[in-house]
Amino acid sequence: MSIHRSKSTWAKAYLINKHNRKSATSSPLYQRMLYSISIAVIVLILSGCTTIQGATDESPSFAEGGALRITATTGMIADAAQEVGGEHVSVVGLMGPGVDPHMYKASQGDIRKLDDADLVLYNGLHLEGSMTKIMEKMSKSRHVVAVAENIDPNKLRYSEDGATEYDPHIWFDVSLWVNVTQTIEAALIEADPAHAADYRQNASVYIAKLNTLHQEVQSKITSIPESGRVLITAHDAFGYYGDAYNIEVKGLQGISTAAEYGSKDVSDLRNELVERGIKAVFVESSVPSRSMEAIIAGARSMGHTVRIGGELFSDAMGEAGTTEGTYIGMVRHNTDTIVEALK
Amino acid sequence: MSSDFWIILTACLMSAACGLLGCFLILRKMALIGDAISHAVLPGIAIAFLLSGTRDSLAMMIGATALGLLAVFLIQWLQNSGIQSDASIGIIFTALFAIGVIIISLNARNIDLDLDCVLFGEIAYVQWDTWTANGIDMGPRSVWMLGSALLIILLLLALFYKQFKISAFDPAMAVACGIPVMLFHYLLMGMVSMTSVASFESVGAILVVGMLIIPASTAYLLTDRLGRMLMYSVLTGVVSSIIGYYTAYILNASIAGSIVTVAGILFGIAFVFSPKHGVLIRRLRQRRSQGTAIAE
Repeated sequence: MSIHRSKSTWAKAYLINKHNRKSATSSPLYQRMLYSISIAVIVLILSGCTTIQGATDESPSFAEGGALRITATTGMIADAAQEVGGEHVSVVGLMGPGVDPHMYKASQGDIRKLDDADLVLYNGLHLEGSMTKIMEKMSKSRHVVAVAENIDPNKLRYSEDGATEYDPHIWFDVSLWVNVTQTIEAALIEADPAHAADYRQNASVYIAKLNTLHQEVQSKITSIPESGRVLITAHDAFGYYGDAYNIEVKGLQGISTAAEYGSKDVSDLRNELVERGIKAVFVESSVPSRSMEAIIAGARSMGHTVRIGGELFSDAMGEAGTTEGTYIGMVRHNTDTIVEALK
Repeated sequence: MSSDFWIILTACLMSAACGLLGCFLILRKMALIGDAISHAVLPGIAIAFLLSGTRDSLAMMIGATALGLLAVFLIQWLQNSGIQSDASIGIIFTALFAIGVIIISLNARNIDLDLDCVLFGEIAYVQWDTWTANGIDMGPRSVWMLGSALLIILLLLALFYKQFKISAFDPAMAVACGIPVMLFHYLLMGMVSMTSVASFESVGAILVVGMLIIPASTAYLLTDRLGRMLMYSVLTGVVSSIIGYYTAYILNASIAGSIVTVAGILFGIAFVFSPKHGVLIRRLRQRRSQGTAIAE
């Protein structure tokens, strides 16, 4: 049943064909059938196209007096846009709960979501990987805004090793998210000046909530004894959190979830756990927990018990409709989990 | 123009280019070279990043192209020195990929420098990645890039069809006829490398690897003649692109994934029902010959 034929068969066929082309076509009826079937299929598809394209949208567009349509890449941005936009906007997020933005794969429906949007919001700082380039191109012809664009570069963290690239995980510092909310507010006002007053009002309410949250996280983290204030996670997303709330952050992987970790990283981290007597490590909702389990097992073999302190939301929020499905709920959940485990 | 049109056009250009090259790769038992190139370019983008300090697509493309060419030449060279073709592909691409991993983990471990982010494109976005020349919007960049790749392939195949054909089927005979076989092998490999890298940048890896192998394999089941095989291969690729795109539309799924799946299904149909080498026709022939044997 092998589908490979020897080269000599080919050569023979080649020679035969050269001399007598007609004899080479073995069963003309079958072939004619094949042709007609394939043509029928193509015709079917082409007729299918027209019906598919005929079926267009339900709700009235923004130009016709409907809501301002916003498409956001991550759930955190979608949440902020909804808070600021209120009843005047309809927000769709591209990346659902538990999705890792570095590895996001587009689906066909995303084209419509981006094409139909009156305003597209994305994180920027290369969080969205290969999508970033497209967003930059799109911004020339329509309302596309990187929500991180107005953050003072001095407040951004560099990735280590003298790199030229910034750490994109800005949402972990609530004070930076306040800046993001202001950028979203400005973008909404630019796209829909008629409701500017409402947007300003909503934004100031939301920013007040964020400021309270910022102080709340600060005071909660301070309640952890200084020596045990170390946050160990699978990948380096929590850098801003560490800077803002004065907790030391160690990650096993680099910034990107795609980078490999070396065996030395694993053993270094394990030794540090044991030496400093750290109580707990954390797993993340959008990163597999296998690597952290390896470290825990390693520490146990050295006679030190470490437990998994809980699951933190890092690159994506929780399910919609739950408390962790909002930005504020997510930050609160992370903080409570960390404080609970390390206290 | 609508995004559906540009995406389908890009997919069709890419699958036509890959379908043509794929036929020769299958005949030379080097079908997996697309996958090999997709991994072997890693040190290229790592070095390009270290030298330029940016993740701009131009620098990444230059690095990837250089390493893609280096990889295929090394593979061809190993093969010329008597290593099996599958082994030479395996050796070169794993070694180059490993070098890339080392370069990144030594120099850039905190930078998001994986192939998915910096090189591999996404077919869903092609219509927004336009090329502007002198302030005029010329349409999607990938259509231009893949269109010119297809044109170069068609031109070279038209000019040297006989040479490519004999070099693929019977290198010994080709040498006897005075055809510089090595030159044509390297030329083919060069085309494969350039087309793959251009396609990776436009549509992503899995689609290119799939379209280099599957349509050509389908065509291989349907005919014994190279000319027809090339035609069927392109046709299968184009049909897969169109059906695949609308499958993705209906399922709201990944476009690349759907196109490759459809190509796989078409291969399955050909595998069973091919009038020449299908499973069904073989059974039938077997039974018929048994029947005549018994009758005698």
